[in-house]
Amino acid sequence: MVSPLLILAAGLGAAFLLGLLRQTSERAAFYVTIAALGFMGFIALSWTVGLALGDALPVMITTAGTAPPFAINLFMGGMEAALISVVTLTGLLSAFYMRKDLLRLGRRVMAVLLVLIMALSGLIMTRDLFNLFVFIELIVIASAGLILLSRDTRALGAGFKYLVVSQVISILLLVGVIFTYHANGSLNIDDIPARPMVFTGASLAIFLVLIALVLELKPFPANGWALDIYESAHPGFSAIFSAASGTAAAFAAFKLFDVAGPAWLPLATGIGIVTFVGANLLALAQSHDRRLLGYSSVGQIGLVLMVIGQADILGATLPYVAGGILISHAVAKSGLFWLSGLVKGRELSDWAALRDNPVLIVAFATFIAMLTGLPPFPAFYAKWALVHALMANGAFALTAAFLIAALIEAAVLFRWFGMAIKRESRRAVVVNLTYEAVVLLAMGTSFVLSWIWGAASGQENLITLVPLLFALLFLPLDIFPAKAKNLLAIAGLVVWFALSFHGLDPIRLVFLIIMVLGGALLLLASFHAEGRRMGFYTPAMLMFAGMALLITSETSFQFFAAWEFLTVGSYFLILRGHDSEPHALSYIVFSLGGAFALLAGFALASGGKFTFFVSELSEIAPQVAPYVFVLLAIGFLTKTAVMGLHIWLPGAHAEAETDVSPMVSGILLKAGLFGLFILLLEMGHQTLYGIDLTVVLVWLGALSAFVGAVLAAFQEDAKRLLAYSSISQMGYAVFGLALMNHLGWLLALMFAINHFVYKSMLFLAVGGVKERTHTKLMYKMGGLITLMPYTFVSVLVGIIAMSGVPPLSGFGGRWIFYNAIMSTDLRLPMILVFMSGPVGFLYLFRLIHSIFLGQPKDELRMVKEAPFWIVAPQMLFVAFLIAFAALPGMILRRVDGYIGQIFGDQPLTWSGRIVDSQFGTWNPVAIWGVIAVVFITILLLLIWMNHNAQRVKQFNIVFSAERPFKPQTTHFAWNFFAPYRKAMGFLEAPIATGFWTGVSNALHGTAEFTRKFYTGNGQTYAVQLLLFVVAVYLIVLGSMGGAS
Amino acid sequence: MTTRTAIPLVLLALLGTAFFTLFAGYVPDAELNRTAAYYANQTVAETGAQNVVTAIIVTYRGLDTLGEVTVLFLTAAIVGLVLAHSKAPKGRSGSGFLPSGELLTTGTRMLVPVILLFGAYVFVNGHLTPGGGFQGGAIVASGLLLMLLADPAERFSHGLISRIESSAGLTYVILGLLGMILAGGFLDNRILPLGTFGSILSAGAIPLIYILIGLKVGAEFSSILTSLEETEDAE
Amino acid sequence: MILIQIAMLLGFALILLGLYGALTNRDIIRMIVSFTIADTGVNVVLVSVGYLTGREAPILDTIPVADAAARITDPVPQALVLTAIVIGLGVTALMLAYAYRLFRARGSLDISDYTELKW
Repeated sequence: MVSPLLILAAGLGAAFLLGLLRQTSERAAFYVTIAALGFMGFIALSWTVGLALGDALPVMITTAGTAPPFAINLFMGGMEAALISVVTLTGLLSAFYMRKDLLRLGRRVMAVLLVLIMALSGLIMTRDLFNLFVFIELIVIASAGLILLSRDTRALGAGFKYLVVSQVISILLLVGVIFTYHANGSLNIDDIPARPMVFTGASLAIFLVLIALVLELKPFPANGWALDIYESAHPGFSAIFSAASGTAAAFAAFKLFDVAGPAWLPLATGIGIVTFVGANLLALAQSHDRRLLGYSSVGQIGLVLMVIGQADILGATLPYVAGGILISHAVAKSGLFWLSGLVKGRELSDWAALRDNPVLIVAFATFIAMLTGLPPFPAFYAKWALVHALMANGAFALTAAFLIAALIEAAVLFRWFGMAIKRESRRAVVVNLTYEAVVLLAMGTSFVLSWIWGAASGQENLITLVPLLFALLFLPLDIFPAKAKNLLAIAGLVVWFALSFHGLDPIRLVFLIIMVLGGALLLLASFHAEGRRMGFYTPAMLMFAGMALLITSETSFQFFAAWEFLTVGSYFLILRGHDSEPHALSYIVFSLGGAFALLAGFALASGGKFTFFVSELSEIAPQVAPYVFVLLAIGFLTKTAVMGLHIWLPGAHAEAETDVSPMVSGILLKAGLFGLFILLLEMGHQTLYGIDLTVVLVWLGALSAFVGAVLAAFQEDAKRLLAYSSISQMGYAVFGLALMNHLGWLLALMFAINHFVYKSMLFLAVGGVKERTHTKLMYKMGGLITLMPYTFVSVLVGIIAMSGVPPLSGFGGRWIFYNAIMSTDLRLPMILVFMSGPVGFLYLFRLIHSIFLGQPKDELRMVKEAPFWIVAPQMLFVAFLIAFAALPGMILRRVDGYIGQIFGDQPLTWSGRIVDSQFGTWNPVAIWGVIAVVFITILLLLIWMNHNAQRVKQFNIVFSAERPFKPQTTHFAWNFFAPYRKAMGFLEAPIATGFWTGVSNALHGTAEFTRKFYTGNGQTYAVQLLLFVVAVYLIVLGSMGGAS
Repeated sequence: MTTRTAIPLVLLALLGTAFFTLFAGYVPDAELNRTAAYYANQTVAETGAQNVVTAIIVTYRGLDTLGEVTVLFLTAAIVGLVLAHSKAPKGRSGSGFLPSGELLTTGTRMLVPVILLFGAYVFVNGHLTPGGGFQGGAIVASGLLLMLLADPAERFSHGLISRIESSAGLTYVILGLLGMILAGGFLDNRILPLGTFGSILSAGAIPLIYILIGLKVGAEFSSILTSLEETEDAE
Repeated sequence: MILIQIAMLLGFALILLGLYGALTNRDIIRMIVSFTIADTGVNVVLVSVGYLTGREAPILDTIPVADAAARITDPVPQALVLTAIVIGLGVTALMLAYAYRLFRARGSLDISDYTELKW
């Protein structure tokens, strides 16, 4: 192993050497710079690897041949080596990235860059307090120099503000340092004893040191200067400033907090969480890309500081957690800054230019997923461990603040991503191979880091999961035609099913069939797509991977990771739709919010235990159990779109692509239902404040069923109608589950199957109609029955099945349903659910009536049947529905037996094809017979009556001379249910939408108002800095007074 | 009084109370603390330097000093960068000034060699008497300042200054590394014999390092001064 | 009140005075000068902390080596203050260079004229 001191010596030596090179060759100077940075990076990496593998031991490096504290010493341990690797490699890549500007300004600026990286490495290694100060000043001066790399003239002002603020910080730091020296008789950091948090003598001195180091981390709100730098500096330098400087400064703060003792940790926690919340909140109002990244940088470092504040509860896992966040931040943020150099405009929507190059879009998505802590990236493991530690120690408010701020951050970043995908780009992307190579290297690193964090997690290493790798495989395969990929995707799903279905209980098996085989079936419709269909298969397979893993998951970690996979995959999928930008955003925000509720719930349930099996949910302590139940239920209900948490669903499902709508509606919603199954299976009845929580669920289910149906009835958009109908249907299922009896569960499962079949079918059918008519608005259609007969048949069968009239399987559902509600005593919600049946008829009728019956529109006269690949799966569904209606026992019997084991009863008797319950008998075959007879009779009657009918041409009507102002309003299907709307319209009042819009507006308003605080005046920033210090001082002083 | 002055005043008053707490709690040491005592007792044996502060600066806290030299190096480089774009056209700079008088010109010619010599004396003797590389370097640079004042149109070779600066810095780093190979660690001064206590050739590498620092600091200050001077507006 | 305390109070006073100047003067050059005053204050505080009453400078030309521990003041702050001075000088020079560039760019030395980056 080479001595780590050479990192410093190489940086400095090279910086000095540059002056000796021939004046004319800046190119040679550049290569020397690169070589030196590469060498520094190599030493750091070799130490990281050596320490990680145990080939090397942490080493204390003394200088001047004298032992500390009498001479300055450095320390190289695992954390140091890893962070110096981050610093030096960021520097190296940024040097490549800034090549042109470095050559333009010459060797002096290269020397400054070398010194900066050297000083950052020194800051990480040094164990001497004053040496720390020297390195910080070197960093300040070098940063002020590199700010000049920018061609933006405003950077000058930003640099000066930075110097002003740094002066104030260094004054505080020096005063603190010298009094600390006086108190300890030593400048060595390791000689600083743990001190109580009081404001006299040595403690006050250490406070000054700590607060100065915290100020270097740009805490909210004393950080306007840093934001100005991020906004105006060269992106290559911003990458260093955010990733490398942030990392080094955070580690410096950690070193001091580590020795200052546990009494000071609340300081780090408090400032950290305020910064994380504040920065993310204010980022909401940002439209400038680099400034937004600045806010996000500030927030992430604040989060790291908060984690440092948890040193006492995290113990030995602190490096893992803090490192996971820090390294994710470093890689993703530098990657995004580098990426920003490829975009010409500075508005967020200008990033749409990246669409010119799909690889860059993948990089963008990777960085955003990494920042938001999605699996399989390191921050995901860190978030998991952190929340578990916090919940186990009762830090509920802190957890809540953390999760809410993380959600806001995700909203900010995904909104940006949505703009990049959906907006029009005004200017083309910059073509620069160096830039792209640097970005791609960062992206590659992120996957390597994911592997490392996964391997060290003690849990499953997510990046090695076959379904995930299969989904990622489609990234390189994206150059092939869509049809080939589709075949591979279907084969993959079928194979995965064959591999994983063994040994599952019937309930899980049913869900696995729906999610994996159902997915394969729906993918048949995707054969319709022409060309390459870039960016479809990875998200789709990611979503299916998530669902497949969800069903087979055993531990809470697996469950949660799978949940996030399916959420992210489906988000990207939904975002592909035509007008889906706002809807996809609201989908991801609600989904992640739900996921965070799950995370908190699992963390609370596990009580800090490392591996927690989902089946252990039944054994948790009764005092926390109801809260766990509530948190998990919120998470699952978000997915099933229960009333109140439903507002994301209509847009997301309606705006998605033709073959995506059935996937996210027919299949994805079942994930929430599956979660509820597991939850109720393991936890059963829970009581909170004397309220039986399952009763609350019953009510929520009933309300969703009823209101969803009412809202569906008033839609003009066919896909939205189906979307609202899903809310209603999921309400039925939740209702059934929450009844907590055998028949209720059977009902829920029956609904899961049925809803998958007919909702997939109807979405495909309506999608097919839309393909041909280019509209989703029903009043623009009409009379398509003869033009699209197959589609008509599938809609007809679909709505018969769905409305629960005999003979199709929906009737079986109803039959079980009536049996189920007869055996419970919750009368009021029962009536509500009962009422939603007829309301369901209203909207289902519209599908047939407005689309297929009546007069065909003139412009739609030439419309053809929907494409073959869209019709084909529908026909399969029709066949299945008929078979399932005739022979329900083929699926239900096994499930019924299994549910019987759970509840210990057997209310249904299966004799042959006849099912008996205490209230009556269901004989599917007999029903078919009766229906056939009735149908044929009526048909014959109609044929007989038909000879009296008079054939009229379509335009054989009389027009008046007037032309209505809005012609569509004269269409017979316009505002079809006006009378009902008069009666029930109040239910349409957008209470939930209003509520969430209010929340969103309040947040935006706060952000818009608060950021005015950053006046841009350097002097004001300095005043704010002092104000921050004094405020912290007074708050701590006040809290001490309260404590003593 | 406006809020613009009132707010800082209130803040500084509060900061002042914190400072006052430090002041009020300050008890002067009666004895040297352990670090200082170590230096008092061991400096001579370990470094051979007569000036304890020098021993600390160059050897014990040599890494700080290397950083400190680097600060000046950085400043010189950045000032050069900042001002590079605003350089006055060649030959125009300073030409607008009146010629300096005979007295100043002659005085400068007489004084500059003495000043340079004095500067060299100060940094060569840094390990024995008060002073050292930084002070000596500053004195050297003041000689240069005098020359600039006497003749504002005078040009110094940036190349020469930069070469002196760089080679001194590089040699400094190499000396430090030699300490790792030949003696106890980075910047250990015992790579050379400690010599007779109190003589000019003593204290190992300390005089050598201080000479390098002196040259480097002198060159850096000169570089900053010339950069600043060359930006002078021609009008 | 002994010498150390006077020096230390003076140092703190200079810090506060310098900061007051830097926070209330809008002129950039005045701000820079104010910061140098504050820096000086810090340096005074630094040396005053290391001073031991009645002792001599830590140069062992007249003091016998054996007596050093009993007769010299603390040498560490003196070494630190040198570093602090040099760093302060570096930052000041840098700020002046920035001030020059700012003035060239905008023709103004009022800090409140450089607020185009905000929010």
